[in-house]
Amino acid sequence: MRSLTEEETRTLFTKLAVYTGRSLNTLITPAEDGTLSVFRLQGSRVYYVKKDLANLSVSFPRDVLLSMGTMVGKFTKTGKFRLNLTALDLLAQHARYKVWIKSNGVMPLLYGGSVLKAHVARWSAEDAPVNSGVIILDESDNPLGFGVTARGISEMRRLEPTSVVVHRQADTGEYLREEDTLFTT
Amino acid sequence: MAPTKGSSKGSSKGPSVGGAKGAKSSGLGSAATRVSKSSKKDGPKRPPPKEVKSKPRTVQENLKKKKKRVYTEKELDLPVLNQITPVGVVKPKGKKKGKTFVDDQEGMLTILAMVNAEKEGQIESKIMKARQLEEIHEAKRNEAEARMKERKNKLEGVKDSLRKKKKGGNKESESTSIKETMKPSRGKKKTVAFA
Repeated sequence: MRSLTEEETRTLFTKLAVYTGRSLNTLITPAEDGTLSVFRLQGSRVYYVKKDLANLSVSFPRDVLLSMGTMVGKFTKTGKFRLNLTALDLLAQHARYKVWIKSNGVMPLLYGGSVLKAHVARWSAEDAPVNSGVIILDESDNPLGFGVTARGISEMRRLEPTSVVVHRQADTGEYLREEDTLFTT
Repeated sequence: MAPTKGSSKGSSKGPSVGGAKGAKSSGLGSAATRVSKSSKKDGPKRPPPKEVKSKPRTVQENLKKKKKRVYTEKELDLPVLNQITPVGVVKPKGKKKGKTFVDDQEGMLTILAMVNAEKEGQIESKIMKARQLEEIHEAKRNEAEARMKERKNKLEGVKDSLRKKKKGGNKESESTSIKETMKPSRGKKKTVAFA
């Protein structure tokens, strides 16, 4: 387990910034109780861990250590970063754009479907460009997943109710659907 | 002048020029050459004449000569830009070898600030572009609607004028013409024949 290099940090933050706003600063600054969390790399996976825990991890050999803290995502072999579903909690706290969906859209999403216009209850912003990251929540404010907008929000008003408005990237249904492969290294 | 020419050019010119001396001398000369040729063939064996060749460049002697004149880079006085310095070869001295980790908070914050600024710029420009496009689309739509309305109005105007024409011009003949047209049709009864 090691800390990230400059290049890796930039790649990670660029990806996170798709979904989060300026409040991402709070992730790397110490909390009110003085605890600081850091990003650590183990293999190709990035974990968000409390610093004192991360320091303790030095006592384990790398090949034995499987996981620690919250897994944010992994670096691909081409150097890109893929966000994992487990980062949803982090993202939801600092989301730039949010969409609340009605109860009729929850199950289709959890089975891996996209969000249709008919499912949308409301948007957090008046306008958002196309392909911007958005956190999907149900009506009782539980984060269900994240995705990217298929159209600009202002453009969506003229769409048919059956047209896709958010392309799904990850949803909590994956905990069951991808149970076997979600944490395999 | 003439004898010098003859002597220099040999026997080919001698007979044509025409002196007896010249002819004799040429005859003797030819005989002498024949004899000498035969004597060469029959005489003691000598090693065949070796051709003196210029030695190829790859011969060691030549190579050695070139090796002596190797210039150092300083002597050549090449401009700096003309040289190739591969990225991996020249390493700055005093720098850390391997990866440079970002472990301090300030470094992370600066990277984050840069990334955020970049992202926000992108989003803003995207929204601006989308709005401009939206405006253009709206204007186009309005224009198309106006055009459709105009066309409709025109069509209706034409329709009205046609109706008025029909009503005004054919009032007198209308009743007779209708009767005329209706009569033959009424006279013919529809019949169905079964074969």
